[in-house]
Amino acid sequence: MDSFDQKHSKIDGMTDSALLGNDPEFDAWLSRELKFDEPYLDDNGFCEQVMARLPAPSRRSEKRASRMQYAAVVAASAIVAWQFPFDAVVTEAVRQSISLYSLVGLGLLASLATMTGGILAARR
Amino acid sequence: MDLNDEELIRRIVEDGDQRAYAQLVHRYQSQLRFSLRQLCDGDQGLADDMAQEAFIKAYKALPAFRGDARFSTWLYRIAYNLVMSHKRKNAPEVNQELVDRAQADESVEESQQLGMARDLQSAMGELSEAQRQAVHLCMQRGFSHEEAASIMKLPLGTVKSHVNRARAKLQTLLQAWREEVVSG
Repeated sequence: MDSFDQKHSKIDGMTDSALLGNDPEFDAWLSRELKFDEPYLDDNGFCEQVMARLPAPSRRSEKRASRMQYAAVVAASAIVAWQFPFDAVVTEAVRQSISLYSLVGLGLLASLATMTGGILAARR
Repeated sequence: MDLNDEELIRRIVEDGDQRAYAQLVHRYQSQLRFSLRQLCDGDQGLADDMAQEAFIKAYKALPAFRGDARFSTWLYRIAYNLVMSHKRKNAPEVNQELVDRAQADESVEESQQLGMARDLQSAMGELSEAQRQAVHLCMQRGFSHEEAASIMKLPLGTVKSHVNRARAKLQTLLQAWREEVVSG
């Protein structure tokens, strides 16, 4: 029977191609035994220690969200302004002498529409 | 809900969601710490410190993670780099007392395990450091040869050679156990 050292020297002397012809069942068996032998290491505060040492979360995503909201509001305002018949309103106001209260109400309505458009766009 | 690694990484990078990272840490902490204990020659304190550093470094580098490799491969690569770098810097300063104590503790536990496990550990101890790591990564962790080569920073052929030679050694050393299992 070969001694331990003899076995080792035989293996070390083999070429890789000779070693490749090994038993695939052995691989599965060895893999299973290695995994079976491995204990699960309890967290024991490890995760908490890591989390405590992490840098503060990046504010980049927050800033990106804000920028998108501003862009949505501006876009909505532009659409409202584009659709709003300023000349007709002004002409009509002059012609009919619309009261100041009506103009304020119209302004409020326009603002409300702009804000609603902006919020809806931001949510999307 | 258990989200996959890719979804968790997306939440961390895009939403700054640290809870998602906690899930990743929890998912990999045991495996990584166990692997690093082997790499640190049983120094559990050092292995845990290195694992912690690896998770923190990985978190900071996550925005640059392109997803070419699996997160676990990438994490292992970071951890192995840290340990190797630490070993290079602190080679003469290993706390032998701590190592001996940890190994003594392990020996007590090992003595309570089945003979198979003890002999498997003993046979693994006969392998070279590189062979042991290659077997650990490929046969215990399930990394491909390519992934193991990337983690160990070795050429693919070298890793394959380590695995083949280690497998042949283990096959010889554990032959008796296998025959016993097969014969029932």
